Amino acid sequence: MLLAVAFPQAVAGQQKDTLRADNVFGDLRARHIGPALMSGRINDLEVHPANNRIMYVASAGGGVWKSGDAGTTFAPIFDEYCQSIGVVTLDPSDPDNTIYVGTGETWTRNSVSVGCGLFRSRDAGATWEKLGFDNSERIANVLVHPEDPNIIYVGVLGALWSDSEERGVYKSTDGGATWDRILYTDARTGVADMAMDPSDPNTLYASMWEFRRTGWSFESGGGNSALFKSTDGGATWNKIHNGFPGGALGRLAIAVAPSNPQVLYTVIEAEQDERKGLYRSDDAGASWEQLNNDFEITVRPFYFSRIVVDPRNEDVVVKGGLSGSISRDGGKTFRSLGNMHSDIHDIAFSIVDSDIMYVGTDGGLYRSWDGGSTLEICEDLPLSQFYHVSVDDAEPYNVYGGLQDNGSWYGPSSSPGGITARDWNSIGQGDGFRVLKHPTKPIIYSEMQGAENVWRTDTEKRLIKTIQPQPTAQAPDLRFNWNAPMATSVHQPDRFYMGSQYLHKSEDMGETWSIISPDLTTNDPAKQNQEDSGGLSMDNSGAENHTTIFTIAESPLDENIIWVGTDDGNVQVTRDGGKTWTNTVANISGLPANTWVYHIEASVHDKGTAYAVFDGHTRGDMAPYAYKTEDFGATWKSIITDEVEGFARSLQEDYENPDLLFLGTEFGLFITLDGGLSWAPFRNNMPPVAVHYLELHKGTNDLVMGTHGRGVIILDDISPLRELNAGVMDATLHFFDSKPMEINERSSFGNSTVETEFVGANRSTQGQLKYYMKRRHTFGKMTMQIQDMDGNKVVDVEPGKSAGINVVSWGFTRKIPKVAKGKTFSFGGFTAPTVPAGMYKAVIQKGRETYEHPFEVVYQDNGISLEDRKAKEKTTMELFDMTESLAYLVYQVDAYMAQAEAAGDKRDLERLQTLKEGLVITTGDNYVASAEPQLREKMADLYSKVASSYGAPSGADMENFKLISDRFATAKAEFEKLKPRVKGGETLQLASFEEFLEMD
Amino acid sequence: MKTLRFTVLALALALGTSLQAQTADEILDNYFENIGGRENLKAVTGMKMTAKVNQQGMEIPLEIYQLSDGRQMTVIKFQGKEIKQGVFDGETLWSTNFMTMKAEKSDAEATANFKLNTNDFPDSFLDYKDKGYTVEYVGEESVEGTPAYKIKLVKEPLTIDGETKEDVAFYYFDTENYVPIAMESEIHMGPMKGQMSWVTFSDYQEVDGLYFPFSMSQGVKNGGSQPITMETIELNPEVDAAAFAFPEEVAETKE
Repeated sequence: MLLAVAFPQAVAGQQKDTLRADNVFGDLRARHIGPALMSGRINDLEVHPANNRIMYVASAGGGVWKSGDAGTTFAPIFDEYCQSIGVVTLDPSDPDNTIYVGTGETWTRNSVSVGCGLFRSRDAGATWEKLGFDNSERIANVLVHPEDPNIIYVGVLGALWSDSEERGVYKSTDGGATWDRILYTDARTGVADMAMDPSDPNTLYASMWEFRRTGWSFESGGGNSALFKSTDGGATWNKIHNGFPGGALGRLAIAVAPSNPQVLYTVIEAEQDERKGLYRSDDAGASWEQLNNDFEITVRPFYFSRIVVDPRNEDVVVKGGLSGSISRDGGKTFRSLGNMHSDIHDIAFSIVDSDIMYVGTDGGLYRSWDGGSTLEICEDLPLSQFYHVSVDDAEPYNVYGGLQDNGSWYGPSSSPGGITARDWNSIGQGDGFRVLKHPTKPIIYSEMQGAENVWRTDTEKRLIKTIQPQPTAQAPDLRFNWNAPMATSVHQPDRFYMGSQYLHKSEDMGETWSIISPDLTTNDPAKQNQEDSGGLSMDNSGAENHTTIFTIAESPLDENIIWVGTDDGNVQVTRDGGKTWTNTVANISGLPANTWVYHIEASVHDKGTAYAVFDGHTRGDMAPYAYKTEDFGATWKSIITDEVEGFARSLQEDYENPDLLFLGTEFGLFITLDGGLSWAPFRNNMPPVAVHYLELHKGTNDLVMGTHGRGVIILDDISPLRELNAGVMDATLHFFDSKPMEINERSSFGNSTVETEFVGANRSTQGQLKYYMKRRHTFGKMTMQIQDMDGNKVVDVEPGKSAGINVVSWGFTRKIPKVAKGKTFSFGGFTAPTVPAGMYKAVIQKGRETYEHPFEVVYQDNGISLEDRKAKEKTTMELFDMTESLAYLVYQVDAYMAQAEAAGDKRDLERLQTLKEGLVITTGDNYVASAEPQLREKMADLYSKVASSYGAPSGADMENFKLISDRFATAKAEFEKLKPRVKGGETLQLASFEEFLEMD
Repeated sequence: MKTLRFTVLALALALGTSLQAQTADEILDNYFENIGGRENLKAVTGMKMTAKVNQQGMEIPLEIYQLSDGRQMTVIKFQGKEIKQGVFDGETLWSTNFMTMKAEKSDAEATANFKLNTNDFPDSFLDYKDKGYTVEYVGEESVEGTPAYKIKLVKEPLTIDGETKEDVAFYYFDTENYVPIAMESEIHMGPMKGQMSWVTFSDYQEVDGLYFPFSMSQGVKNGGSQPITMETIELNPEVDAAAFAFPEEVAETKE
């Protein structure tokens, strides 16, 4: 972000012209497929103080969500800004409209993202203004004075991986225009929690926490951690430690009982285990008494220091924790909350009934109706936090990936009716990371943290084998990253790589392993003391394992070329299958030493070309770094410009256009059309969420993004971007090449009863015509037709009018038939017939100019013979024509009936009426009062049945077809007999059949 | 020119909130001037639009009536049958039920909310102050690649599921022509509740000296949309008052 501005322009001096992608994306729009069934980490909850339907969820990596139905369904309201949220607070004097969002999650695990300051909306989330705190990184609390909304307190926890002076308690008395820092300790110590006395807004509590994380350690606690109280609106602060344990303190939570502000609770992380735990004060902090040091109270303070008191009962206290726990005796004893996803970060009581509770966890939002004993998950929050994604070549392709504390999963990229929870399959436990499909067999590789288990699952036989590399006599100690790398090979389908400090290779799907490298890391012992990690509370989860391999890339062009990147900053390459290795990182200029190598992309265009993406955020360096080499790492050049926001983690090369690159950063997706001379953010339905991994699907050209907070997001078919060059971008209108378009014949039966569930969007199955316009079409007429190659209109479609790329969909259908007028609808008549495969053209008329684009429509390769398809088309169109002929017949009959009536010819009127009653329905309604179907209905229903089925019409269809045809012929003959009898009939001025078709 | 305009706006913003409203007014002044003038627009007493909605081969013809006294009606023709939707006769809001083909009244809340908008003909921004509306210039934003001025319009509060909600819409005026190219507002009901509706406008064409968008596309922001194309717009049409009236029971006419 900020550092990026100062970043050296290593690309300066290039001869090539830049090709900026700003404002070209038009209708290219990302789609979100979730999943939501395991949801993701939630940092904070806020309920409306007066309206029990309204609540807000602040997610750790997926933005802010609002519910207007008490947590049943949600909509995101913060999608234009960074997605890591610390706190959401409603202004108590205007809770309907004024919302504060403090960004940057505050439960400081290893994988946390970063924030981007403080924001306020005055219109319930429709628009936001920024209130500063650009370098706050994480904001823990926002408190607004209940009577004077101009008085605002902000608790800034601050930077996790570096010193920062933007920490402490800040106060504004002018509605956020200016801020004073009113409580500050030092550059290592920030505000972990704050509370305001509801009966006296000048009485404030703030807990200060000394903390620091590195890539290889975490330290909680120190002499500067303390709990403070102010009774004068923050002008002066005093420590309130009477009854506290001595020595260094860690993270402290603070809560005031709303029903009795004399009662305070804090949870203390202390040096001595027996002095850790829950403390209560009954005199507003003058003295404290220790009540409880159960596991749930003391577990992982950096992750769970949240206390919530029932608004109606000072003795009902809930504490965040591994399971979360509740006390109903003022904090003396606790029992765990009911079954739900573990890792409880926040709890909110309903304003109307304390039996109703909301709980925010590592696996989404839960709701209880019985005081926390049983909990139901909200199914509408797609907050899943992927570390990695991969795809296969199935049709539709599947997406694979692992999630923070939510195992490993795979699911389809499209599913009839949309992608729902039932479409996803679990393929691993624990924290999930990389999941890879075997290139040819029904085998999936998955893992849990630190390669504790690496599973090879046979998905057909449902058999699992655990296959991770193990210590050997030659290599007795293996160091695996928390997010251990694995890779498959396009050259040898059974080959499987894993990285510890060594590169391990298996040629038999993990049955046997060989080490094909020396220790490729720095092997720095100072970064290998994980058993000492945690500070006052030991926290050796393995999450801080360091000096490990993090990324492995075998060249798709040469199996002997393998790239390896390490978390401590080495970029190693072998060109002889692992016999010799070269560390090339010294050849990169402008990169701070030991910066984490997050991703290496070995080029599909050239053996010597690769991209390396570096992430320095765990050293407090938030700048993006990505470099390209064209000579096996001998030289590297930066491809980053100051248009890129957020530190980068992932890069994807296009398979056809070497200048088209996609970059995933902590603040979203960036695209370059000129090999990195310029970058543009992609924001069409793509929030600036952390993109941890990018994959480009070869068959569809879909860009699949593994985001850490918004699940899997897919940008369908990026191929138009390949064609963009200076000439195209200067054209009034340019049609993009289109691959032959396939008529979708698959079943559309899909999901139902998903009213309260997140449903992922499908890839369009329609034909898509894509064109570029330099400028938006705003004035004058612009129309579009599909025509056959002779110029005959097939159907009108509505063209897109945007500047940039337009995408127009066509379902391969003609117009629906004109149906005879009756008393009710003939629903079969609403079916549009599908065109036969062949060449068509799209014709755009824009002002006086005409633009044409020929394209091919093809059948799906699903075993249906061409002969059967022709038979279907023939019968469909015969029934289509017959339906329109019948409509014309009814039109004539109606005219003759009117004439007979006018002429007083009762006998013929009756005969015509009898004829008509056999042709169309003349009574009843469209539902259960419907009349018996007549010829129109039978004809249209058969038409619809044949048109909507695959293959040739059945024998039953053809028998029915004959019956209907005969009956229609009889009716026409009957009408021809009646016509001459009607007096004055010969004088009727009837529309011709062609004229009739044009009438409304 | 673009740079100059931006400077002016930046200056206006820097000078504080009192000038912001004026900037919004300037944009609206340009808008009304460019589409044919406020006075000409005010003289319009009604509009009849014939339109087509094209749903994958199903072209649905529509007739839309909007009158200055608040009466409105949309007539849809399916298979030669007329179906009326969103008909307001000044008092009652009603639609034809698709099952029975008979008229049914909308619920009281929908009718009350609808009545609030009857003063919006022919344009919500016309004399917006007299209607008690507020407008605010929000800033310049790109709409699908085209720079636009974003204007916030707040109308009379709505009642949704028994609760009062602000009626807010954001209009995006093309910085070049000062005509709206998009409109955004929150969806309050149904499965899309909480998301933003997104309507785009294009194909502005002249009718008796006034410009109207002949093409609109309505949908959810960042989601799919349904285009509607005007074939004709007739100003001050003759209407049959009876067509708007709620029929206590639709007469059974023998076909």
